[in-house]
Amino acid sequence: MSIRVVGCSHHKAPIAVREQLAFNSAEARKALGRLRQRFPDVEAVLLSTCNRVELYTAAETHPPPSREELVAFLAECHGLAPADIDAYLDERSGLEAVQHLFQVASSLDSMVVGEPQILSQVKQAYQLATEEGSTGPLLHAAFQAALKTARRVAGETAIHQRRVSVPSVAVADFAQQIFERFEDKRTLVIGAGEMAEETLRYLRAEGVQHITVVNRSPERAEELARRWNGQTMAWADLPHALARADLVISTTGSAEPIVSASLFRQVEAVRNGRPLFILDLAVPRDFDPAIGDRPNVYLYSVDDLREACQRNRAERDKELPRALRIIDQEAERFLADLHHRATSPLIRRLHEQWQKPKEEELRRLFNKLPQLDEHARQEVREAFDRLLNKLLHPPLASLRDEARNGVPHALIDALARLFRLKD
Amino acid sequence: MLSRVTVVCFAGSYAVALALELSRLVLRSSLRGLLMLGFTAAGLVAHTAFLFYQAERINAQLHGVGLPLSSTQHWYLTAAWLLAAMYLFLAVSHPRVQFGLFFLPLVLALIGVGHYLADPNPASTPPDPSIWGLIHGSSLLLATVAVLVAMVAGVMYLGQVQRLKRKAVPHHGLYLPSLEWLQRVNGRGLNAGMAMLAVGIVSGMVLNVIYAERHQRFVPWTDPVIVITVLMFGWLAGCRLAGWAYRPAREGRKVAYLTLVSFVFLVFALAVGLLLETRHSGQRSVRPMFPGRAAAASRQPTMRVLGAALRAEGEAGRIGL
Repeated sequence: MSIRVVGCSHHKAPIAVREQLAFNSAEARKALGRLRQRFPDVEAVLLSTCNRVELYTAAETHPPPSREELVAFLAECHGLAPADIDAYLDERSGLEAVQHLFQVASSLDSMVVGEPQILSQVKQAYQLATEEGSTGPLLHAAFQAALKTARRVAGETAIHQRRVSVPSVAVADFAQQIFERFEDKRTLVIGAGEMAEETLRYLRAEGVQHITVVNRSPERAEELARRWNGQTMAWADLPHALARADLVISTTGSAEPIVSASLFRQVEAVRNGRPLFILDLAVPRDFDPAIGDRPNVYLYSVDDLREACQRNRAERDKELPRALRIIDQEAERFLADLHHRATSPLIRRLHEQWQKPKEEELRRLFNKLPQLDEHARQEVREAFDRLLNKLLHPPLASLRDEARNGVPHALIDALARLFRLKD
Repeated sequence: MLSRVTVVCFAGSYAVALALELSRLVLRSSLRGLLMLGFTAAGLVAHTAFLFYQAERINAQLHGVGLPLSSTQHWYLTAAWLLAAMYLFLAVSHPRVQFGLFFLPLVLALIGVGHYLADPNPASTPPDPSIWGLIHGSSLLLATVAVLVAMVAGVMYLGQVQRLKRKAVPHHGLYLPSLEWLQRVNGRGLNAGMAMLAVGIVSGMVLNVIYAERHQRFVPWTDPVIVITVLMFGWLAGCRLAGWAYRPAREGRKVAYLTLVSFVFLVFALAVGLLLETRHSGQRSVRPMFPGRAAAASRQPTMRVLGAALRAEGEAGRIGL
């Protein structure tokens, strides 16, 4: 009864390798089918995201496939030689594999720790494997426990609420605190910097649809607008674009502020007091800082957000040990339960074996005491049951204690011999 | 069974829910959310039972012709019930937001005022059931609750603006809704409050005319409760008109501040109704907060009760069409 995971992640494998090893859902279905044909008694779940490709396997009666077999299988699925990918793949088994799965599901192993998508990706991978009939009791239990652990980590720590990149903080901790929905908001991008695109990625995920790009170079503006399905406006129309915008992301390389306080006052006059979120990612800054003092204007520079990121990082680091403690607790509990499950056939046989003499003794007693009414008989039956449970308690407690450290094979054998239990 | 439900049962449940909400500022726990909802829901059930029992009692006291909201205390406790129900709904739909920090103190304050200051008995004069009285009392009750909700949204709005201007990330124990949401709730609260107040004033005028015709009693239009209620309506209507005519007046902090002024009006109206002698409703006795003053209070025609509103339902039991 063991679990093994072989795979690669952003920690060790460059993106080129991860791309080579990635599976889309049709490929994953095919791969799971092929794995089942090759290893019929093995349970498997294949998790493939942009940051990791991991193959979880488990078997109840014998060890799951070895690292070499799984590496060869993954390479074969992509028409690669095992040697090409071997160096990028890690293998974990037993407690380590369980802890790893729990960390992945709880987003503690993600590139951006706490990002929420990974949990749904783990769920999808598990669901897909279940649909394909690749999961069994071990991986069912493991993935259910992983989802439960992820919920505990999310509920008992603030790790998921702490963003640490400038664009994610800008969107999650500030823009979302101003606007309830983004579908009807107009976003203005001034300049065409990389950071602007990254911020757009987060905003698009929140539903932003109307994007306008203003840049001194119309070609670059066109290019960016095309990528994001937006529109462009001429540089000279910047005040007009500002008057219409709800969110502004500015990343020009200008040496002087491109929006002065006086220019903004003119714009403000036609904005009717609508809230404006300005993300000034340029260094030096594109917006005069005095604009941030105007009512209904929320202006954030890179420095403001970096400070927020650092505070978040410090807060998150404080939460990390707590999250890891939860992972350890849940992994140990899961394994103890798993090992204890290995003892259940023995426990069942033990109970069954002792039921027979109990019933015989009860029958004999009731024959000798026919005057007992049904109530008295029930009392006697319950007394016998209590006695039986008390007699069985010490060996079962020992089994449970031993199961914390692994399947207690020696104790199972000893009990089977002691009580003459047959398979 | 219902008679054994006391104010302490539901006030205690709400107080525990508030304590749990406060603990969010310093401690994290996955169980707390459930406990909070559980205590609030339990409080709401007990609160409902208590109101039901009170309504039955009032009905019996008025020989089967009593209408809901026929006592000041019932009116206050019903307002608290509406706010508590609203809190429960918001706590379920927005589990991250600490609405309880803002709603539950108001709920407890209304219960406290209702229990200690308001008259638990319906009017002593023989009642004539009237739909106008019910409309008057209910609309003023809803106006009060709407203004309170708008006030909560306004306070949260100002807190959120302050945080955003300070460029501080959200505190894990104090998460507020977005400005857009708060502004919408604030605006809707004020609109609803204004509309209900208009219904309350019009129905009050009708009641006064009917009352004068049938009972030869007339509440002067200069009565403090009436004056302050009309002033409050004028203030709300003025704010909304200014907002419609000049858009910046309905954006951002301005509205939040205007709401706080509306809240002050409301508190003033309620205080006038509770503490001053007015002729806005019939003979009433005050629940004795200070035993020495109780006898004196009970001798005088009072208009205490819940400001404008309360009388409404008081009237409900008294005026017949």
